This record gives sequence, structure tokens and C-alpha cells, in this order.
Amino acid sequence: MPALFIAPALAVLLSLSIYPLIYSVTISLQKETPGGVVWGIGNFARLVSDSFFLTAMAHTFVYAVAALTCEFLLGLGLALLLNSQIRGRGIFRASLLVPMMLPAVVVGVVWRLMLNPNFGAINGTLKQFGLNTESLTWTASPKLAMVSVIAVDVWQWTPFVFLVLLAGLQAIPQEPYEAALIDGSSRWQTFRHVTLPLLKPSILIVLLLRTMDLLRVFDQIFILTEGGPGFATETISLYIYRTAFRFFDFGYAAAMSFVLLALTNVISAIYIKFLQAKEEI
Amino acid sequence: MRLTISLALVLLVGLSSCAPNPQPLKKQLTLAVVSGVEGDALQQAARDYEAQKGVHIEIATFPYTNLFEKELIDLKARTGAYDLIMLDDPWFPRFANEQLLTELTPLLEKRGQSGPDSDFVDTSVALCRHPYQSGPLYALPYVGNSQLFFYRKDLFEKYSLKAPETWNDVLAAAKTIHEQETTGANGDRIHGYVMRAAQGNAAVADFMPIFWAFGGEMFGPDGKPAVNSPEGIAALEFMIELGKYSPAGYASFNADEVGAHLLQGTAAMSINWPAWISSFNDPAKSKVIGKMEFTTLPGAQKPGQAEIGNWLIAIPRDSQNAEDAIDFLLWATSAEQMKRSAQRGNPPTRKSLFRDAELVAKNPAYPAQLRSLESSRPRPRTPYWTEIENAFGIFLSKANSGTLSPAEAMNQANAEIEKILQRAK
Amino acid sequence: MNHKGTKNTKSNKRGSLSVLRVFVVRNLRYVLLFPALVFALAPVYWMLTISLKTEVDQFATPPPWFGFTPTLAHYYDAFVTRSFGEYLLNSAIVAVASTACALVIGTLAAYALARFQLPWSLNRRLSLWILSTRMFPAIVTAVPLFLMMRDFRLLNTLASLIIVYTAFNLPFVVWMMRGFFAELPRDLEEAALVDGDSRLGALVRVVLPLVAPGLAATAVFCLIVSWNEFLFALVLTQTDAAMTLPVGIAGRVTQFEIKWGVMSAAATVAIVPILVFALALQKYLVRGLSMGAVKG
Repeated sequence: MPALFIAPALAVLLSLSIYPLIYSVTISLQKETPGGVVWGIGNFARLVSDSFFLTAMAHTFVYAVAALTCEFLLGLGLALLLNSQIRGRGIFRASLLVPMMLPAVVVGVVWRLMLNPNFGAINGTLKQFGLNTESLTWTASPKLAMVSVIAVDVWQWTPFVFLVLLAGLQAIPQEPYEAALIDGSSRWQTFRHVTLPLLKPSILIVLLLRTMDLLRVFDQIFILTEGGPGFATETISLYIYRTAFRFFDFGYAAAMSFVLLALTNVISAIYIKFLQAKEEI
Repeated sequence: MRLTISLALVLLVGLSSCAPNPQPLKKQLTLAVVSGVEGDALQQAARDYEAQKGVHIEIATFPYTNLFEKELIDLKARTGAYDLIMLDDPWFPRFANEQLLTELTPLLEKRGQSGPDSDFVDTSVALCRHPYQSGPLYALPYVGNSQLFFYRKDLFEKYSLKAPETWNDVLAAAKTIHEQETTGANGDRIHGYVMRAAQGNAAVADFMPIFWAFGGEMFGPDGKPAVNSPEGIAALEFMIELGKYSPAGYASFNADEVGAHLLQGTAAMSINWPAWISSFNDPAKSKVIGKMEFTTLPGAQKPGQAEIGNWLIAIPRDSQNAEDAIDFLLWATSAEQMKRSAQRGNPPTRKSLFRDAELVAKNPAYPAQLRSLESSRPRPRTPYWTEIENAFGIFLSKANSGTLSPAEAMNQANAEIEKILQRAK
Repeated sequence: MNHKGTKNTKSNKRGSLSVLRVFVVRNLRYVLLFPALVFALAPVYWMLTISLKTEVDQFATPPPWFGFTPTLAHYYDAFVTRSFGEYLLNSAIVAVASTACALVIGTLAAYALARFQLPWSLNRRLSLWILSTRMFPAIVTAVPLFLMMRDFRLLNTLASLIIVYTAFNLPFVVWMMRGFFAELPRDLEEAALVDGDSRLGALVRVVLPLVAPGLAATAVFCLIVSWNEFLFALVLTQTDAAMTLPVGIAGRVTQFEIKWGVMSAAATVAIVPILVFALALQKYLVRGLSMGAVKG
């Protein structure tokens, strides 16, 4: 009986992930030479000495950590703020959700226009306030480019974090708070010992989902900077994309993807270990 | 009950979208074009063809960055989805080398022609052969782009500068205008020069003419990469020098930023493609109507040579409609149709059209364009150009944004290009 | 659910100083929230203005946030001259169909994983495996999937996108719905089963109405993902017949000048259905999420 229920899902996922997986594994272990196809771990060996790959990985981690931290703190803050009966709560909540509903393509395009150092709205408005924007070249500056793309990600995905954490907050029952009140805890103590632990499941989900997505980020960086200037914002997905589609070197791209997959698995396992409240997922 | 209905609906929608397209009664061709002015002309020609001959032409438009990938993956996977594809000439060696294109000569011979007629500009047709210039024909050139040098003649007159003939002239003029002219937007200065140095195609395309003029060559006589020759490094240093008079952030500029600066009147000089000239006199887009002048590229140690950048049209080997496709191709590249196209702003690839009185009256830059086209040289015709351009572009961008010194950038670029060639063996 | 209100009541008990404190705290919220609101909406508003400005205005400095003469030329261009109407329809069909499929298939699986005790700790293993299919960078699966679709003659059809997006959304649906089901006490279903209902019947008639907000929340997320997906739409479609909005919008990026106007017009229209739908259901979003999944 349960088999019938689960079968369709398994069928879909297996057929659409098994073939690609086998294909990727096979091709990552092959190398095309004029003499034919050669098997070996050459693609994986190449990873170690490829400075582009290592730099891209470094960028990806910086991006993920920075974006996640900002999104989490901001999302939590917003969730706490909106978790009460304030006026216009519905409007605030609705408006704050808008950024995450836009296609990444649109987000990339709009922000690219806004961040344009000479014609964009950001610098234009800053200039009106009297700031000198000569050096604020945002996506064109090697120093500011990474900050810019992180900022755009934070803009788009904080609403998601906010939503999930708000839901988590609203799911917390009154009793623990009343107990804390009786115990005479301060606001901060209540927050730390009552709110946060009960919020753990939501935090876990948010961290898991966001981390997975941040490590694979592609669309908006592709449109904003295409990895530039001078590789400054090249994340691993961009590099894999280029390798796969521009250079048509699928074996190497697959090898890189497996490394990324392994790392994502490790990080997810760490999250689950530390934040899982119950032992069954 | 409701569940059943919704399930049924979903199934219906799913099945209907699955249904194979019924065989069209009319003949049909599918054409992949680049989005933008280069592809627009071909699109309009396709509509004319459809009106004239009743053959339906399905047009798929892709941005430059994605067109290459789309075409490569579809052709390699032999999907037969496209009957005609637009190729930027640097991509051509790859496609031809991997035997993804139909050879055109047999198709032409069936129609009584032995090859492309002599009215085509030689340098343009040479691009369509693999190996370059001598091999069999795999495409026909459609957009006759070859770089021109754009400059603001009103500002040159104001400061009594003569038309730039060497890159040093350009630098001097850029300095003058940059320091003295303040009629840019909001009383801002006008930048003397603007260029694109975004990593990839942008940086390399704008750098090659300077590189060549300074005597640099990508490959030495032994076929090994030589970008870090003293001439090459000097060229990069010059580019960075010019960058001082360019708008901040040029190290990430693509063609659209350059275009915006020129159209808004905030930059005075640039290398650019003739296909974009028409925008300059469009009141909806341009603030510098009638103020731009176009000339051939300046020289330095070597005479100025433009980089050619034609768009070619080829027929994929797996097209099911090669006979109809060649029909369209010959029609579109005929003198009569190309003239129509030229009237819409597309640079032609036929000598007679560059000399046509009507067209020259409308496009005073045509003589310069023809000169540029005939003396132009292509980017190196290697099937690994995409990787090389990518790597080279990254280092050019790094040098221009100050992350690496010119010498370091060129040395690293050279090493990277060597790696690419090694891997290819 | 108002623990902040509880705290406020506590301070109220301390007298008039706390009344002032309450006032400041209450308004502090608005002070903090308002910039967040502006920050969230300004770029969207900017995009809207770009779609209504002439090209010269688009690049003017200082950028006119308000004072400009609007034009509908870009909307005309997008929908009449070009195929954005077709892209819109394609996106709609693909998003709705894939969401529906994912919900049906995923809910069934989630129910089984929540209610049936499978051997070999399959419950946990399968759940983890299903979630892990979401981790693989999409780029590398794009090519094998492309080849698969080619072999099944499904390239350039909406069906290929529907299939792929269903697979994308399944892990999320299973994860979410399983949480909701796990939270639900079994009594009502047990009662229905005792009354002679089948498992499936009990699921549909008894359980689903109870998790409806959760279902709605999940549906909204799936719709957003399918509506906005770019990479696979780009790879699996070849002509206008099957292209979706994101691909169409990206296609406005030309070399010399990005057609911001057309792009913004298309993008504005692209987000309207999603916004309307999501905002209409937004209270279910929060209620739904808080029902179970976020409790693990």
C-alpha cells in the first residue's frame, strides 16, 4: 500500500536524476583524445592545480557565508518586528515578500541598471545627496563587485527567510512565554532561552535551503556581472557553466559538480546534526 | 471529485503540449539569430522572403552570450532544430572544425554557381572558409562589420584637433577633452575615451586593434602563444593609460555601456561596430545627432588595422531543409536584398553596395567602412578561440581594474593560453 | 500568537513610564520597518518606471523617479510586435501544470512517509534522498536532460519543461507536506478508516482539508519556482513556440543596447500574476508554513 503512494514520486525523481547522475559520473571519468575516449581520474586531478576552480570555490563560500548571515539576521529581525499586532501588518508583510517573487533574470537586469555607475538610479540618487560617486563603480569595481552581488541576493531572498521564521515564530505557543514571565526573565533571556530553541526547526530549514541555493547560485550573478570584473565575482556555478557550455568540456564540469555536491552534503549534515530537535527528520 | 477533475485537467494540458507538431503544409525554415541590430536586419529580410515566396520562417532570437551555447549544443546533439544559424565569425572555426556545418559549394553548384560571386568583399568571404581563406565554403557573410573609430567631430573642432591617425593622437586628444570639456550631463566632464573591458569577448575585441598596432601577435611564428612579448605588454600599458580618460568602471563595460556613454554624449571617442551607427541619429536614443564622425582605426608602430567582426549565416549539417535553406541564403545575400537590408542600417558584405550612390548618401561612413573591411584582419582562427578569448579576457580585465600589473597579466595570460592548447592535444 | 503583546502588558503594569516606553517601542517598529519596505519595493517601482519611460529618459541624470512623461510604446512593442503574449501563456501553462503534478505526486509520497512505518528506516533515508536531489548544481544535469528530451522527441515542447519542473518541485513538496502530516493527530483518519474508507479516501476527504493552508503555501512556492526558472527553459526550448517569460526577457539583452524598456515592460507583466496570486494567499503562506513543516 505505501509503495503505491510513494511510487510515482520515486519514479519521477529516479528517471530524472538517475540518468543525469550516471551520465555525469561516466563523463567525469572520461577524457576525449584524438585516439578515442580514455578513462581516468584526469578531470579530478586537474581540479587541484586549477587556480580558477579554487578561486571560484573561495568566492562561492565568501558569497554564501556573507549572504546567509545578512539574510538570516535581517530576516529574523523583520520576523520579530512583524510578529505582533501592529497596524498595516498585512501590507508590510505583503510588500516585504515581493522581491523573492521576481525571476532572477529580472532581478539581475533591474539591479544592473540601478547599479550602473553613470546612469543608474543608485549613484544618481546618491549624487543628489551630494556624495561623490566617482569611485563607487559597484559591479565594475573589483572591491565592490562582490558586495554588490551579495547585496542583490540579500535583497531578493531575505523575504524568504523572513517568511519562514515568521511562520516559525507564530507557531510557538503562549505557554513557554507565560512561564518565562512568571520566572521573571528579561526580554533578552526570554529570547535566548525560549524563542530561539523553539525556533530551531525553522532555522534549520532556512539554513539548509538557503545554503543549498547559495552554493549553486547562478542566474543573477550571470546577468549582473558574468563573473567579472576580472573573475572577481565568479562563483563555482558560473565556472561550471562556462566550462560546460562555452568550452563544451562536460567531463571537467561534471567533476567540479561532484566536488560541490560532496561539500553541500557535508555542510547539510553538519546543520542537521547541530540543529535537529528530534532524531527523525 | 474535484481532485479527479483537476487531475484530468492537468493530464489534458500535459498531453496537449506533448502532441507532436502536425506537419506544416507550407514549407518551413527555422532560423536562429542574435538579438539586437545585427539580427534585426536578417529578421526583416526573413519576413520579406516569407511575403514573397510563401515559405514560413520561424525565428528564434537569443542574446549574444547565449546564442553560441544554444547553437553549439543543438548542433552537436544533432537535433536538426535549426535550418540556418547566425555565427559571429570567431565562432566559425569551432563549428567548421567539428563538422557541424553543411558545405555550401555543392549546393551552389546545383544552382549553377561555382562559388560566391566576386562582388562579396574578399576578407568577408575568407572568414567563411575552413581553413581560413583556402578551404571549402561553409557559410556566407551577411553583416559586414569591421571596426571603426568613432569620435566627436564637434569637440575636435573646438579644440583644433585633427582626426586621429595614431594611437598617440588619440591619447593626446583624450587628455585634452577630458581635462577641459565640461559640457557633459550636469556640468560633468566629458570623458576623452570609452572602451569595453569586461572579461571575455568585450575586452578582447577592443584590445586586439591596439595590440596589433603596437606590433603584438597572439601566436609567434612557431605557433606558440606570445602575448607577453614586449610589444604586447606595451599595448596593454597603453590601454590602461587610455583607461585613465575613460569613465570609471570601464573595466566591466560591455557594448551597452559604451553605447550609452556615446549616445548620451558623455564620452568623446571609442572603437565601435558600424552596425550600431544608426542609433546615433535616432532622436529617441541619441543626444549627439550629427556630431559623431567615423574613421579607420589609428595605427602605432604598425598601420592601423581594424578587427573584422562579420556575422555569417551557415546551414547546420543536420538540417532537414538544406535545399530550401540555401535558397533563402542566396536570396538574402543577393545584391538587391542586401541593399534593402543596408537601407535598414545593416552593413553589407558586397563591394558594389559600399559604392552605391544612394547608400553612400545615407551613410557617409561607407567609404571608411569599406576601407576598414578590406584592410581588416580577423581574430586568430583557432577552434579553441572561446577558451582563449575567455582566459585572455579575464587577464585583460584584471589588468584594467588594477588587480594585476600589465606584465603579470600578460605573463599569466600567456601561460593560460598555453595550457589550453596543451589540453587540446 | 502574540508573545510580544504579553511582554508589553507586563511593562504596562509598571506605570506611566512604561506607557511612554510602549509608545516609543511601537513606533520604533515602524521606523525600522519603513526603510525595509522602501528598500524592498524601490527597485520594483524603478523597473515599472523604466517600462514607461522613453529611452532618453531612462539614462537621464539625475534619474527621474517621478517627473517624466510616460509612454506605452514598450508595452506595445513587447506584446504586439514581439511574442511576449506567447511567452506569458507558455509560462502559465508550465507553471500551473508542473505545480499541480508536483502537489499530487508529492503529497501522496509525503503522506506515505509520514504515516506508514517502512522497513530499514526507509522513512528517513527516502526523505533525505529526496531532499538531496535538490543539491546537485542544475547546470550539469542540464545537458543529460537535454539529451534525454531529444531522444524522447520532447525538445522544444512545454511537456519537457513540465516534467523537469515537477521533478524540481517534488523534493520541496514532499518535505513540506510530510511535516504537516506528521503534526496532524491520527484520530480523524483512524475514525474514517474504521468507517470503511480507503486510505486514499481518508487522505482526500479528511486530511487534506486540514492541511489546506499548508498545501496553499507549498503551491505558491512551487508556482514561483516554476514561473521564474531560467536555465532549463533556455536549454530545452528552441523557438518561440515553447519559450517562457524568463528566456524571453533575457533575450532583450542585445549587444549594443539592452532594450530596457521592452524588458521592463515584459518583466512588469511577468510578475503581475505571481504577485496577485501570492499576495492573495499570503496569509495562508504564513499560517501554512507555521502549521507543521517549520516544526520539523
